[in-house]
Amino acid sequence: MIVGSQKPIEEIWEMVRDFKKVLVFGCNTCVAICHAGGEKEAETIASLIRMRAQQEGKEMVVDHLGVMRHCEPEYFDPVMDEVRKYDLILSTACGVGVNFLSDRTGSVPVYPGINTSFYGAVEAPGSFVELCAGCGNCILHMTGGICPIARCSKTLMNGPCGGTNDGKCEVSKDIDCAWYLIVERMKQLGTLEKLSEVLPPRNWSTSRDGGPRRVSLEHIRAYEAQEGQDSGTAGGMK
Amino acid sequence: MAPEKTEEAPQPYRPYGAELKETRPYSPCRAACPAHTDVQAYVGLIAQGKYHEAFEVITAPNPIASVCSMICHHPCEQSCRRCAIDEPLAVRHLKRFAIEKSLDYRRAKRRLVKKTKGKSVGIIGSGPSGLAAARDLADFGYDVAIYERHPVLGGMLASAIPPYRLPREMLKEDIDDVISKGIEVKTNCEIGRDIKIDDLEKRHDAVLIAIGLSLSRSLPIPGVGGPGVLLAIPFLQDVAFGRKPALGKKVLVIGGGNVAMDVARTARRLGVKDVSMVCLESAEEMPAWKWEVDEALEESIKINHRWGPKAVRREGAGVKGLEVVKVKSVFDQNGRFSPSFDNDQTSLIEADTIIITIGQMSDISFLKDSVVKVDERGRVEWDPATQMSSARGVFVSGEVVTGPGSAIAAVVSGHRAALAIHLYCQGEAIEGNLPVQEKERVEQMPAEVVEKVAREPRLKIKHLAPEVRCDSMVHFEIGYDEAEALKEAGRCRGCGGGAVVDQKKCMACLTCMRVCPYGAPVVTSVSEIRPQYCQACGLCAPECPAEAISMVSYDVKEIRRSLPQVVGRVEPGRKEPLIVAFVCTHHVGVLGFDLPKNARTVPVHCTSRVDVLDLLKAVESGADGVAVVRCGDGTCKYREIAPRVNARVKRGQDLLKTLGMEPGRIELLTASTGNGGNPYATVVSDFSERIKQMGLRGVK
Ligand SMILES: Cc1cc2nc3c(=O)[nH]c(=O)nc-3n(C[C@H](O)[C@H](O)[C@H](O)COP(=O)(O)OP(=O)(O)OC[C@H]3O[C@@H](n4cnc5c(N)ncnc54)[C@H](O)[C@@H]3O)c2cc1C
Ligand code: SF4
Ligand code: SF4
Ligand code: SF4
Repeated sequence: MIVGSQKPIEEIWEMVRDFKKVLVFGCNTCVAICHAGGEKEAETIASLIRMRAQQEGKEMVVDHLGVMRHCEPEYFDPVMDEVRKYDLILSTACGVGVNFLSDRTGSVPVYPGINTSFYGAVEAPGSFVELCAGCGNCILHMTGGICPIARCSKTLMNGPCGGTNDGKCEVSKDIDCAWYLIVERMKQLGTLEKLSEVLPPRNWSTSRDGGPRRVSLEHIRAYEAQEGQDSGTAGGMK
Repeated sequence: MAPEKTEEAPQPYRPYGAELKETRPYSPCRAACPAHTDVQAYVGLIAQGKYHEAFEVITAPNPIASVCSMICHHPCEQSCRRCAIDEPLAVRHLKRFAIEKSLDYRRAKRRLVKKTKGKSVGIIGSGPSGLAAARDLADFGYDVAIYERHPVLGGMLASAIPPYRLPREMLKEDIDDVISKGIEVKTNCEIGRDIKIDDLEKRHDAVLIAIGLSLSRSLPIPGVGGPGVLLAIPFLQDVAFGRKPALGKKVLVIGGGNVAMDVARTARRLGVKDVSMVCLESAEEMPAWKWEVDEALEESIKINHRWGPKAVRREGAGVKGLEVVKVKSVFDQNGRFSPSFDNDQTSLIEADTIIITIGQMSDISFLKDSVVKVDERGRVEWDPATQMSSARGVFVSGEVVTGPGSAIAAVVSGHRAALAIHLYCQGEAIEGNLPVQEKERVEQMPAEVVEKVAREPRLKIKHLAPEVRCDSMVHFEIGYDEAEALKEAGRCRGCGGGAVVDQKKCMACLTCMRVCPYGAPVVTSVSEIRPQYCQACGLCAPECPAEAISMVSYDVKEIRRSLPQVVGRVEPGRKEPLIVAFVCTHHVGVLGFDLPKNARTVPVHCTSRVDVLDLLKAVESGADGVAVVRCGDGTCKYREIAPRVNARVKRGQDLLKTLGMEPGRIELLTASTGNGGNPYATVVSDFSERIKQMGLRGVK
């Protein structure tokens, strides 16, 4: 899932201070799971903004709302008429949600209430860890299921480097050395000899370097065309 | 008494969550109550000090609630889920407390109800069944008349149940509630003798026969006829109406049921020192309630078990004793009543007065040759699906058709009949439109949950000492005082009033499953909270990141919505800090709320329900300091609450910091009871002092 964390209230305040009617709009999927931007946290941020406004002696209406997902129009369409009545929407969805919603609110701006951080897992309740970089060309079968792109500080394809130190990374002793983990895991799997092959240079065009990406499923899009649906995303496929 | 104002019948009070509860399994106490009184709701209201609201919940399905608060056999308690933990809630006694606290309130509420239907109903008999039907029909807007052959209303409640168990003032309050709606009362009026049933039928659009079982059965044994042998109902009636029945020095009561207990214990109170009983059953088999038997034994009443009456022995005209024969067995293989005797074993129990208490039957002689058919066994013919007799428009309810039972069961029968009559008068179908009695109930508490609940014995119900109470007809049971009632109410586990998930909002994050101390939520594709596990602690709702969890029995957002009003106007020139204190009511109930004047109290059943949003809202509403006051370590009603509450307070403090405010404006306080004084007031005053040092917000 996508993991994010709330922006400091001061940063949020700088964004919202000049608006009269603000909606803090939560997303009840990934960012709710990581307790950053679900309906509950949208309500919390709304409360903080109101108190900040009080401190400044500013008149401001701040409400909150939440829908299941901000990344599919069917979830927020039913409330769009309400949402458009505000001067500003502070979305606590991930960046995807902010982009996606922003294309659909006409003259009402959508600002981000959280920092979208990474794709991660719930290591323990309240502890989220990055495990994948979404590079578009997965090699986990060659690295014992541990991603060197996301988890090696240097994104090395043939590690470890000289900075490995008792299983920790030289960048910080709080970071596990991914390549140490890879070696240990592959020993356990009995596939260590695979590492004697040098991994060739990667083609990064499937990652960020190839420009914005899109996945298009013809069999599903055919259905969309039939229903006369239109994605509506700025610059998107029409 | 008669109120002046006429009004439409008020909408019955509905506690929070009433609609939702109808779609879910009932708490076992509620399911077991014949009237389905929402016990969980009213016990919860008592715990919050909301006695009048509790009164409303109690009386909504029950017009004789004061009576029931004294004499009900309380099946709610027998099925209370606390039985698995230690002892059941003292539900009946709590009901009594709430009702006693609502005396002025109920009197002030009495109103004539507008007669909007233009039709009239005549009710024969003013027992629980007749009264219930009268109340409902008056509320529907019918013209109602009650015909009662006794000089007072109330049926057996007025004419048989002895006053030491049911003080008549209590009965009078119930009856006044009903009658004040504008019901015509005709006492000393016996149908059959004073008015013919066929005439009554012509007088009204519908008639209800609710005449109960007013005749005592006698025994077909030698010597029964003559002085010294009495029947239970006439005996109890004499006592009830202030006539003193002639008793000897040695009274023997035949029978082992509850009425027999009443008869024996009444005889004790009439000055007879030597009262004994004889019954077919062993102590275990006796139909009387165990508590009745225990109380009788305390009053030195002797019980002869497993003897059957054979003949009344007389000396001259007077009674010498009862000849009895040993019982071999009371029930046959199929558990049916079919006593067998050992004729070789007989004995004589000496007595100069014998009172026969072996059952009752109805007096339906007045129905002879009327439109209402009686079957060959002398019972009124009726259809339970419509409550109607063989005559159209003539309905029946209560013990005359159901046979002997409890007062509250007779009430329910009266409600059904009233609804049937209403449907009939409106030309609608009755069959299929009367409520079903059986309700699904929350299952018993799983053993793993029982283990996690702290033992907390039930608060004893006090009685007058046996030597004192046997001297008079004074009510022998002593009510709870407020502190006792609050404590007892706090034992309730809130069954069926717990957490529910809005499955449209849940995104299966597992939070509730992780925080619940009782393992109630199971999350698969969405969370489902299992009512048999849930203790209604409320811990999970403020944790759900999707705000998908609500509570059946309270509004989780109510506190934050009401805080601006609770805080009120914030004086810019105030000298004392304005404190909002969320106080756990578990140990002290509302009594602990004697907090300093500058504190606004928000009572909570447990600090588990306090949300970080509530803390913020208090600050937003102008509080200088916000305190969450929990009870002392290890005394919490629930388990594993403290870490989550700590975390919420900490989060609140951190958020204040980000706004540049002192984090210490929000604090978690612990009020340890047991050191005397009012620990709640003390910790709050100390906190208030700290806030004063910190400074009042916006005050220079
Ligand atoms: C001694 C005793 C103790 C009891 N203790 C308890 C207890 O502790 N708890 C409990 O729950 N229940 C108890 N009960 C049972 C309870 O009283 C009955 O369940 C209840 O009263 C039945 O109500 P009802 O309306 O059907 O009839 P009743 O209460 O019998 O009322 C019928 C009324 O109809 C009147 N009537 C009859 N014929 C005519 C006529 N022809 N014309 C005019 N009026 C007529 C009668 O006078 C009577 O007032 C007790 C009963 C007795 C006898
Ligand atoms: S604990 Fe309370 S709600 Fe549960 S059965 Fe007992 S009285 Fe009813
Ligand atoms: S905490 Fe809320 S969203 Fe998460 S599983 Fe439970 S009900 Fe669902
Ligand atoms: S946390 Fe409390 S209210 Fe929530 S499911 Fe568990 S027992 Fe019920």
